[in-house]
Amino acid sequence: MPGPGHVVPGPENEDFMTILARLEQWKGQGTISPEQHAHLASLSRGEPFSLFLELNVLLYAGVLAFVAGLGWTVSTWSQQLGDVLVLTILSTVLAACFWYCFSRAPAWVPAETPAPSPIFDYVLYLGSFVWSLELAYLENRFHVLSGQLDLYLLATAGLFFFLAYRFDNRFVLSLALSTLAGWFGLTISHWPSHQDAAYRQYALLYCLLVGIAGTLLQRRGLKPHFFGTYLNIVANVLFWALLSGVFNRQGYGLWLLALLIACGASLAWGLARRQFAFVAYAAVYGYVGVSSMLLRGITDDTAVLGYFVVTGVAMLVVLVKIARRFGRPA
Amino acid sequence: MRLYSASSEETLRARKLLTDWADEGLLTKAQYQRLELETVSELRTTNIFLRLVLFLFTLISVGAAAALFFVGFLSRPSEQTIGVFFLIFAAVCYGAAEVAVSQARLYRHGIEEALAVCSVGFLCAGMQAALFSGSPYSPKPDGAQFLVPAAGAVFSLWIWRRFGLSYAFLAAMIFVLFLPGYWTLSHSAQHLIVALFYATGLIGVAAVRSRHRFDYLEDAYSLIEALLWLGIYLAINLQLSSLNLPAQWWGGTRATSDFARPFYWATWVLIWCLPPIVLARGVRQKDRFVIAVGAIVAIITLVSNKPYLGWQRHTWDPMLLGILLTGVAFFILRWLARGPGGIRHGFTAVRLSGKDKHWMNAGSAVFGLLSPQSITPGPQTSSPDVRFGGGASGGGGASSDF
Repeated sequence: MPGPGHVVPGPENEDFMTILARLEQWKGQGTISPEQHAHLASLSRGEPFSLFLELNVLLYAGVLAFVAGLGWTVSTWSQQLGDVLVLTILSTVLAACFWYCFSRAPAWVPAETPAPSPIFDYVLYLGSFVWSLELAYLENRFHVLSGQLDLYLLATAGLFFFLAYRFDNRFVLSLALSTLAGWFGLTISHWPSHQDAAYRQYALLYCLLVGIAGTLLQRRGLKPHFFGTYLNIVANVLFWALLSGVFNRQGYGLWLLALLIACGASLAWGLARRQFAFVAYAAVYGYVGVSSMLLRGITDDTAVLGYFVVTGVAMLVVLVKIARRFGRPA
Repeated sequence: MRLYSASSEETLRARKLLTDWADEGLLTKAQYQRLELETVSELRTTNIFLRLVLFLFTLISVGAAAALFFVGFLSRPSEQTIGVFFLIFAAVCYGAAEVAVSQARLYRHGIEEALAVCSVGFLCAGMQAALFSGSPYSPKPDGAQFLVPAAGAVFSLWIWRRFGLSYAFLAAMIFVLFLPGYWTLSHSAQHLIVALFYATGLIGVAAVRSRHRFDYLEDAYSLIEALLWLGIYLAINLQLSSLNLPAQWWGGTRATSDFARPFYWATWVLIWCLPPIVLARGVRQKDRFVIAVGAIVAIITLVSNKPYLGWQRHTWDPMLLGILLTGVAFFILRWLARGPGGIRHGFTAVRLSGKDKHWMNAGSAVFGLLSPQSITPGPQTSSPDVRFGGGASGGGGASSDF
């Protein structure tokens, strides 16, 4: 069995060298220092072996399971337990979480800051969930906001944004963005006759608001690493909204134009910034939108299948060219 | 047997490691640029997003081309004819995948992968239509139809060996699931046969992978071993393979009726024995995938224990599980942190790779959006008149109603 640092001839190629052999060679050439060699070789051998990702996943799963059980128990047994006990338990957990976060957090800085402890992010995440749970309980049992659930959602989104920026937490930022989206959706559901068009407009408004806010915050240097999260959410909501417009039976031309512009912008952004998720968005959403328009009213199977063959191959050719020019793994 | 030379794949691996180390500041920019020149591979790779999109459009093109052939050139063909043409398509797709690799040097590029996947699909569909036309796809003993999943499994294994695609191995494992149904009606025997297949594979992989410590195949074999451990566990956990799973789990009834009592209780013992074995092997080998599977099967054992014993579930069970998981994670974090330099027995809780940070960032954004919906429980029928559901608009389940 080949040991560490040995050159292992492969079955087809005698130039086969493991990374350990390469490191040895690079040290011999003087390209890397002996200290670097020792460090990189130990990393390659998994010494030490980092459990960072596994422990984070375990913490995340633990928080989710706990909150799910808490919500389930409260909803099932609230009458037996009584409001006082339920609220006392929820408030205690909430207070403990927020006390932990505010007492342990370092002074706020606009740049990316590491969490002060490995469990910090998850305690904040737990606190955010418990806040939602307690507020929902209060509203539904005592009608504190007189049924104005949308106001409560907006306030919760505001709180989550504050917490995300104060403690530099992407989990809570995502919660804030989804809560804000919920507020938009809930507001429109109060309308007497809500239609797709109205939802679409609100989705576009959401994109505009979140996109501008994200850009401004990034420009001002306030947690600029959050910008990617904003952009991905905005892109997906925007494309879904535009696609729903393209699927309209009438008046879809403007939506198609908007979709093509959005695809062009997404493609340009993705290529310029080497963020290939945006290239993928442009390709998939654009293809779906254009195909739905071109195939509208066509019932001939041969024409439809021929379309997919030709356009599928055309997309492959274009994407391969893009991949060759830009798409090497970073 | 493998389409790619060992040196090419090892060079690609070296290049990825260099990028990771440079991102972490372990190499200077000048060092990285110089070493990058020494790790040039002739294989054409792409990033994950373009790979997925290329895979998708290849599937669309191939599927549409096959359908167009039938619509355009054959009018009302018999099932045998369709089957024969499916087999021809399988050969064409496989040939195209080979050419894409040997001529264009594509490596994890989406196109060659989709072609290989299509060849497996066409092969199975073709065999079913050509050899067993007229008979519905229903597993029963004495039927020769087992040849279809058997061919699917063998061909998937070939694709895995030839192209190095780990999900082809997973496909082979899934095909194996269908085999015992053709050989026996006994559910116990079916579970045993599947577990034996996977165990045989595990022994083979364990024997082979020891030769690939620290080389480019280490991760691939690690993933395969993890999949096999998971497969064995899922095959012996009878609570997971029941068709009436939700009702049984909630109602607390046991799935004993289909199985002999000794077999049922033997599997209960095994689901408790397997997690520590898998975890111990993963920790001993410092194998990330095997450790992950060990943790997953341990959690599944905890979750499926009550249904196994026929005990009533409680609404607070997830809370207890959550406390246990966070408690274990917290204990390990503290224990590792107290070691010299934050290291104990070669393990650390400190992040050493930029990839971990990347995964954490992507995961936190995605799961932060999904988790409010996923953890919101449905109403329990036996519960009092309070109701809890919804949370469809995010907000940590905040839009739910009681």
